[in-house]
Amino acid sequence: MRSRTKIWAFADDAPALWQPSADVYRTRDGWLLKFDLAGVRAEDVMVTVRGRRVSVSGVRRDLIVEEGCSYYSMEISYNRFERSIEMPADLENARVTLEARNGLLLVRMITKGNQEYV
Amino acid sequence: MSDQPVVYELPVLPLKNAVLFPYLLMPLSAGRPGSIAAVEAALATESKEVLVFTQRDGDVDSPLQGDLYPIGTKAVIRKMSRAGEGHLELLVLGMERVALVKLDTSEPFLKARVTPLPLPEDKSSEIEALQSALIELAGEALALAQPNAPQELRGLLSANEDPLRLAFVLASMFSFDAEKAQALLEAPTRAEALRLVHRYLTHEVQVLELRNKITTEARSEMNKEQRDYLLRQQMRAIQQELGEKGGEQAEAEQLRERLEKADLPEDILKEANRELSRLEKLPPGAPDYNVIRTYLDYVLELPWRKSTEDSLDIAKARQVLDEDHYGLKDVKERILEHLGVLKLNPNAKAPILCFVGPPGVGKTSLGQSIARALNRKFERLSLGGMHDEAELRGHRRTYIGAMPGRVIQAMRRAGANNPVLMLDEVDKLGRDFRGDPAAALLEILDPEQNKTFRDNYLDLPFDLSKVLFVTTANALDTIPRPLLDRMELLRLAGYSEEEKLEIAKRYLLPKQLKETGLSAEQCSIPDDTIRWITSRYTREAGVRQLERAIGRVARKIALRFAEGHAESCVVRPDDLIEMFGPEPFSQEQARREMPPGVATGLAWTETGGDVLYIEATLLPDGKGLTLTGQLGEVMQESAKAAQSYIWSHAGDFEIDPALFRNSGVHVHVPAGAIPKDGPSAGVTMATALASLYTKLPARSDVAMTGEITLTGLVLPIGGVKEKVLAARRAGILTVILPKGNQKDLRDLPEHVRNEMKFVFAERVEDVLRAAVPQLGERMESAKTHRIDHAA
Repeated sequence: MRSRTKIWAFADDAPALWQPSADVYRTRDGWLLKFDLAGVRAEDVMVTVRGRRVSVSGVRRDLIVEEGCSYYSMEISYNRFERSIEMPADLENARVTLEARNGLLLVRMITKGNQEYV
Repeated sequence: MSDQPVVYELPVLPLKNAVLFPYLLMPLSAGRPGSIAAVEAALATESKEVLVFTQRDGDVDSPLQGDLYPIGTKAVIRKMSRAGEGHLELLVLGMERVALVKLDTSEPFLKARVTPLPLPEDKSSEIEALQSALIELAGEALALAQPNAPQELRGLLSANEDPLRLAFVLASMFSFDAEKAQALLEAPTRAEALRLVHRYLTHEVQVLELRNKITTEARSEMNKEQRDYLLRQQMRAIQQELGEKGGEQAEAEQLRERLEKADLPEDILKEANRELSRLEKLPPGAPDYNVIRTYLDYVLELPWRKSTEDSLDIAKARQVLDEDHYGLKDVKERILEHLGVLKLNPNAKAPILCFVGPPGVGKTSLGQSIARALNRKFERLSLGGMHDEAELRGHRRTYIGAMPGRVIQAMRRAGANNPVLMLDEVDKLGRDFRGDPAAALLEILDPEQNKTFRDNYLDLPFDLSKVLFVTTANALDTIPRPLLDRMELLRLAGYSEEEKLEIAKRYLLPKQLKETGLSAEQCSIPDDTIRWITSRYTREAGVRQLERAIGRVARKIALRFAEGHAESCVVRPDDLIEMFGPEPFSQEQARREMPPGVATGLAWTETGGDVLYIEATLLPDGKGLTLTGQLGEVMQESAKAAQSYIWSHAGDFEIDPALFRNSGVHVHVPAGAIPKDGPSAGVTMATALASLYTKLPARSDVAMTGEITLTGLVLPIGGVKEKVLAARRAGILTVILPKGNQKDLRDLPEHVRNEMKFVFAERVEDVLRAAVPQLGERMESAKTHRIDHAA
């Protein structure tokens, strides 16, 4: 095995190996974050909110589709991932709900209701 | 931390010549079956993890545990694709540092048990300092290596906070070789890692700086040349705009035109063209520019193929030769012979003639006359005193101020390759440490070699074989043998009185009259006056003094006319004393009375012949033989031989042998100031001694010459014509010559032959009989006496 070219690169946050893409929506009562996390089991995902930072981390484990098959090529990133998003507002007290839909992880954060509660 | 270290097993990708660092992505390609199997096994897992170890030796194909560095990196395969059958392209991302515990080399792929080796996390101010130093250094290196590197790259460097990551990035950015990279991966502390990178990078920067320096220097040199070229182009453009041609360009073009027009042999043209293209590339200020230009000028001006048409009209040539010179039959015949050969074979090799004779006999003017007769160009170069070979053959062009040799210069002046080239005074060549011009002449005068004569300056073969070389010399003994060998000798002996008279009447007098502006009527010099001049006022073999004397006479007459009190006059011999003063040379009159012990000899000199008297006198109670008068060794020896011969034949001559024992002899040869040498005075010595011992005087009207041997033979000698003429000048009309010289009388003018009486001697006795009549009688009677006695 040898290095093909002299290209160099490095991944950003150290222990994580890949970053899922994410969309951020403004909603009437707060925020909606959508992560591209197909093939990740729900139990392998952890969402943390610390101040303005929302982090999604976990592991994508490859599932073997069929017995006796082997890779011809691979593009999907497996193993540990993490994605942190800096939000414009503090979301420590937001109400967070998770939903997995068609391979996407939806993170809903409601702030208005909370404020009303206070 | 548990006491038991974590150990796990994963497939291994052995890496050749590269190290994968944690945090870094690296594209890899896998071709070995083992590697492909390992990748496939890794991809079959959920986490796609492999171990990457670097091989110590990139050439090993199936590495064992010892072939791998013990510390490697756990990585995840991010992407995989197949570039073809049995070839995988991978993108792997380093995860953590691991230490090898055990390598499993069983088929189908390598597996290893490893334990994580966390990266060091030490902190110190040194690390901070190193980190900032590294960032600066990396910026420098980046600026040197890739001046156009994107700004983000530099931004990445400075933004990096983890010092180890910085180290890894730099290592991969400046592509450290595997060994250095591995050392960095294995570094036990951050400080160590940073120091390593700093060291390598410093070296890298130095190398880059040096490289940049070299390239900038090369570039600046090129820039200067380009700048000059550009400026010159502009100048040309401006000159064209102004309607002026660029000086050097016009020159080169002119030369090219001339080259095209010139009729040069092919190889010469090729060489000339090469020089011309060199010239065109040079700026006119370059020192070589002028050198090449002069050279080309020279090549162009030389008559490579140009020759003059020979006039092959033999009758006309004969007429020309006769017009210019009186006498000199041999030489004229030889020239006409050559003309005849040329008529039959136009490519005949020209002879190399050598005129030998005393000064003033017309050797040089004969050369001119030959050229005129053949209708060729005439060039003359004097070799007298030349002592440098380079004068003949030229200097190589590498020398400053180099010139072609005199021969090539003469060819250029002649403008034709078949001139008559006269090499004057070939006997007066010098030689010194700079070389021997005679040796160079050997080549020039050899018809076999001079077809391709190479002058040092030209360095091109020039054909000298068509040149008619004529050399002149006064004497032959200083000419080196090999040189003499190449030349055809033609002797020009001195002129006799009659010849001189003819020459004076035909050439000298008209010439002098013309120079002084007199007409033949105004001044006539009758024959006897000319004879008077030749005999009383000049003494020479040639006619130079005679010409001067006639010139003086003419000028004196001219003066009279200029003063206005003269009419046509005839110069009588008596007028000469008035004009010139007393005669400087008394006529070499024979001594009327000669005491016993004196004999008349004849000598050859460079100025013709001379009469010389050999005087011998007895020294009573003296001893031995004393010789004076600047005699050379050969002459001294011939005196001794003469004495021994007389002594040994004392009985025949009725000489008292006691005379030899009891008294010495002194022999003197006047004039004492002139060195003399040669064997030809042998008979004269013998005669003088015989006359001395017998007290019988020798005849004063007999002159003699000849070499003698100890047994009394008379051997032939040279210079007969000059000697006979000298005797005649002195009024001695009987000459004793060796029998062997009888044939030489043909050289004498007929009237001289008729006027003179010759005695040909085979033995000394023949000489004595003719020179000392009384001794002859005595010998006759002694002979009869002996015969009587025997009877």
